[in-house]
Amino acid sequence: MSEALMLNVILWLPLAGALALLLIPRDKTSEVRAVSTVLLGIQFVLALVLYRAFDGGVDGLQFATNVPWIAEWGVHYAIGLDGANVLLVLLTAFLGPLVIVGATHAIEKDVRLFHVMVLLLQFAMMGAFLAQDLFLFYLFWEAMLIPMFFMIGIWGGARRAYATIKFVLYTAFGSILMLAALIYLAIQLQAQGGVASFAFADLQKVTLPLAVQMPLLGAFALSFAIKVPVVPLHTWLPDAHVEAPTPGSVILAGVLLKMGTYGFMKLGFPLFPDATRQLTPLLMTLSVVSIVYGACLALVQTDIKKIIAYSSISHLGYVMLGLLSLDLVGIQGAIVQMVSHGLVAGGLFLLVGMVYERCHTRELAAYGGLARQIPRYAVFFLVFTLASVGLPTTSGFTGEFMSLMGAFTAAWPQHLDGNNGPLILAVVACTGVVLGALYMLRFALTFLFGPTKTPHGEALSDLSGRETFLLTTLAVAVFWLGLFPNGALQKTERAAKHFQQAVMAAGMVSDAR
Amino acid sequence: MPGSDVLRTMLPEHLLLGGMVVLIVLALLRMSRALALPVAALVIVASSGAAFWLASLGVSTEPFLGQLVVNPVIYLTKGSLLLLALPVLLMSRTEFEDVEFPLLLLCSLYGLALLPSAENALVLFLGIELLSIPTYALIVLAFKRPQAAESALKYLVLSGAASATLLMGLSLVYGATGSMATSAFTMALASGDLMARTAVVLVLLALYIKAAVVPFHAWAPDTYEGASVPVTAYMATLSKAAILVVALRLFGNAVPAGPMVGIMAGLPLVSIVWGNLAAMKQHSLRRMIAYSSIAHAGYLFYAFLGAPEGRFEAITFYIITYSAANLLAFAALPAHANDVQRDAMESLEGLFHRDPMAATLIAVAMLSLAGLPPLPGFTAKFLIFKSVLAAGFTTWAVLGLVGSFLGLYFYLRVIMRMFMSADRGVVPATTGAALSRAAGILCLAATLALTILPGWVLARL
Repeated sequence: MSEALMLNVILWLPLAGALALLLIPRDKTSEVRAVSTVLLGIQFVLALVLYRAFDGGVDGLQFATNVPWIAEWGVHYAIGLDGANVLLVLLTAFLGPLVIVGATHAIEKDVRLFHVMVLLLQFAMMGAFLAQDLFLFYLFWEAMLIPMFFMIGIWGGARRAYATIKFVLYTAFGSILMLAALIYLAIQLQAQGGVASFAFADLQKVTLPLAVQMPLLGAFALSFAIKVPVVPLHTWLPDAHVEAPTPGSVILAGVLLKMGTYGFMKLGFPLFPDATRQLTPLLMTLSVVSIVYGACLALVQTDIKKIIAYSSISHLGYVMLGLLSLDLVGIQGAIVQMVSHGLVAGGLFLLVGMVYERCHTRELAAYGGLARQIPRYAVFFLVFTLASVGLPTTSGFTGEFMSLMGAFTAAWPQHLDGNNGPLILAVVACTGVVLGALYMLRFALTFLFGPTKTPHGEALSDLSGRETFLLTTLAVAVFWLGLFPNGALQKTERAAKHFQQAVMAAGMVSDAR
Repeated sequence: MPGSDVLRTMLPEHLLLGGMVVLIVLALLRMSRALALPVAALVIVASSGAAFWLASLGVSTEPFLGQLVVNPVIYLTKGSLLLLALPVLLMSRTEFEDVEFPLLLLCSLYGLALLPSAENALVLFLGIELLSIPTYALIVLAFKRPQAAESALKYLVLSGAASATLLMGLSLVYGATGSMATSAFTMALASGDLMARTAVVLVLLALYIKAAVVPFHAWAPDTYEGASVPVTAYMATLSKAAILVVALRLFGNAVPAGPMVGIMAGLPLVSIVWGNLAAMKQHSLRRMIAYSSIAHAGYLFYAFLGAPEGRFEAITFYIITYSAANLLAFAALPAHANDVQRDAMESLEGLFHRDPMAATLIAVAMLSLAGLPPLPGFTAKFLIFKSVLAAGFTTWAVLGLVGSFLGLYFYLRVIMRMFMSADRGVVPATTGAALSRAAGILCLAATLALTILPGWVLARL
């Protein structure tokens, strides 16, 4: 099988699987689980093969497919791997089967429908990462909403109706403005170059005055920033996370949030470099606010799911900071941090889900001394807590450290050169690391140590073989990225450089004006 | 042109006419109960098949010079609209068993079939009236619903007033330009004199009333509520499509400029916003669809802001997609012993747990109507707003898009009721359910085809 074909299989396999599941009778739940696990397992193996085959030393797309789809509008079915998405595709494919395996006990009603939704979600997320055509990207980007809407709405907690509609309305509002902007962009391309096309590569050639770039970037940024989420657009996230079932939270934190930062890196910033340079101070400030504010909110939560939800806001702030630093180390750090947060937050949500399945409460105060009762659980809990805090040798360290390094050497627009803005922001961002340590260690301390208690005094069982397997897999990935980040960094280096140049070069021109 | 050619080029219409005769004979022979529906279905399929066949032959001529024109694109529009009547007919079996519904539907379709070909304003008017008059009767047919007579009367009065306004406008156009050809409108719109301006505004007003654009929308929810489900489905889709076809015939090549932009964009924008807002608080699916169709009329009239080149395909694609999705929702609606309860929002609660198929079909319809990708409702909306943006009306386009966002909420609410609430344990009745289900499957197939192959469809429009 050629690599390009393999990439198509990775994309379409979940959709085919979702349709295949409809052929299995509704009550055959174990068959449904087996089929979807196997399919997503195959998807992961293929993604791994492609990851290994991906050559970090080559510019541009690899294993690409490009076929006209709606020829009249210049819409192409164009997919391919590059340094920007190769790690995220691997992450998505890696988390997919884990979500299915992890859902075995969390989901007991409408099992078949649930698996259909997971597969559809997997299809849409893969599509959004792989798409190299703006129209196609938008289709997948919006299509993600539908299965997530069902997932939170059907299998969620008590306030699921409120949370799911809030999630969809927030995200869709951003998207509708992005739609207007992307149509405008395509029309400009046609007016300037005479070709109708939505290809990323073509759209980057459009030259627009700063006054036009600003609203367009604003529209794209609103859509992406809601997804990230950047403070003050974050309020949907805690609701969605708390109400979502465990597998939903894992997908949301693991992959969906990265969609926003990936969008900034792949589309938002490179398409409108002049506006990006103008808005860098504002956006960097918002990222730092997200880091600190998210951490502060996490500090005062009493709901264990909310702690991790708010910590996600903080951790994704580093990604934004790293990208905006326009420093090669910072950008690379941002990419690593995206993957790292996917693994760590995914692991933490799984862990929280496991105690929730046993005790049915998420009140932090109800728990204590779990380390004595369920030691194996406690070990994994500590591993992911420390990774979240950014302990060296874990992926969290690589990501946060490199992002912050970048922030210290951040390049601001020339007219702002000479002021200490970036330095101050970087220093403030560093306090986020301290706050992060504070809330995570407080969490671990009350949760694992201290007097032994459980919500209703029930005796807890330690991790089952299935749960141990899940967490081990994730932990291995966390350490792999923490100890040997070089392999991953080599694959993404070209893309990071490309991103840096795309934004920097244009920035110079506009500053000189 | 020899007579036999005229016969051939108007084959779809002739087949409809023949079908009507057969149905009347069946009624006289008292054989209608069993045979009316199959015969009518056969006629509709044959007539739309004939249209597609003539399109594939590339027939392009004027059967009656200056009155009627046919070409492959017109045949395709005609064929698709006629084919969309098939689900309406199939879902009628849940409510009607006798010959009236199929017969009146065929009469109305005859008027619909004339519209895409009309070259002359009077033929256009004739088509509209042929389409509307059987519809009045169709509304009254819903004996079971207490408001049937009231809603029929309401529609009759308002539609009649709209027709009168249209006639007045048409005569003023004739006065101003000396021509009854549909193309005279572009001239009237371009010319600055008062009579032509008045004429255009009157015609536009008539179309707005018929398409239920705010503030001329108030009749639609009441009428839809009083009619039976298949008739509501017919009015919300095909009659609305017919008005847009009329608008296309009249304003197809017009380029709005100056104060006309305000009239042609302002009211549709208000329609979008108001329709979507009002739909949020409706307690019956039928009224919700009525208000949402007011919003959709807004999107459709927005297309007239765009350049004339893409207008035809944008509107045609939109009405086909929108009709398929709307008919899908109505066809999948489970039958209920109590007709008023049938489309009450409460009856939808937990539908997924007792009829997963119906709930899934309705969900697909709602997502498409909401314009969420990858469903064709999105592609259709994209096409319209792209042409508006390309014409330079950036602000109008952004406002329209934001207005369309408002619609998302109530479509999703329907899905939430079906999938995310507990089953209320309402037992569905079963009359004609299989046929209705078949109608739903047909619409689903159309929706999926438009999802996967929008390019193929667009290239042929």
